[in-house]
Amino acid sequence: MAGHDSGSQHQFTGFQKYFNSYTITGRRNYVIATYTGVAMLVLYFKLRPKKKTPAVADK
Amino acid sequence: MNLSFFDQFTSPCLLGIPLILLSMLFPALLLPTPDNRWITNRFATLQLWFSHLITKQLMTPLNKAGHKWALILTSLMMFLLLINLLGLLPYTFTPTTQLSMNMALAFPLWLATLLTGLRNQPSASLGHLLPEGTPTPLIPALIMIETTSLLIRPLALGVRLTANLTAGHLLIQLISTATTALLPLIPAVSLLTASILLLLTLLEVAVAMIQAYVFVLLLSLYLQENI
Repeated sequence: MAGHDSGSQHQFTGFQKYFNSYTITGRRNYVIATYTGVAMLVLYFKLRPKKKTPAVADK
Repeated sequence: MNLSFFDQFTSPCLLGIPLILLSMLFPALLLPTPDNRWITNRFATLQLWFSHLITKQLMTPLNKAGHKWALILTSLMMFLLLINLLGLLPYTFTPTTQLSMNMALAFPLWLATLLTGLRNQPSASLGHLLPEGTPTPLIPALIMIETTSLLIRPLALGVRLTANLTAGHLLIQLISTATTALLPLIPAVSLLTASILLLLTLLEVAVAMIQAYVFVLLLSLYLQENI
């Protein structure tokens, strides 16, 4: 059950050689890329400088 | 002192000393002591047959490395089974109705299976978070969904056991209260309620055994994916 890879008959080239949803390494790379993307998004929103709103003028 | 329906789930305490540890240790007293004789008594033989049955059932789908988990899974199964069944006796506290205890069992064991997988076969463990043959546009969403389903497993394990046992005990109390309350008023309806109570008790015996089995079976399935 663990580790069975039925993607050996697929011959991928280029981008799909590393990122595909058939081989175990392709799936692993997609997972790592997704987690990295989510981490980058979180970091971006956490670290971006907060906009300072100008003080409202007294009426 | 007037009791509410939920007082049966209060962790027992005597003079400030929590008795839950005693109620968790008690099932072990019911198991026969191992002897150095080859053939002992009928009770010990029965217990041995049963523990062998559980071990064979759980270990058959696992590979050799998974057999290291035989002791912990079999003892967990016996523990949960005995606690669940003893809790069906009147006025007996059931430790597995406490979410804290079930989470304390589920979370570390699930984490152990996860870390075993990440340590021994990291590529396969991470790769299984994306189902094979997923169309490209769906990949990020499906990875997040699979991650969520992975992280929710310990919660589901613990809450499943707690909810099943709590609901069962509560139902038994409600229906038995209805039976005794109706007895002086409408004995016929009380008899009907008593028969429902009998059927419910039989169901709860089955649920007690099934929930213990499901808990351990799911853990062994999570182990199968990772070992």
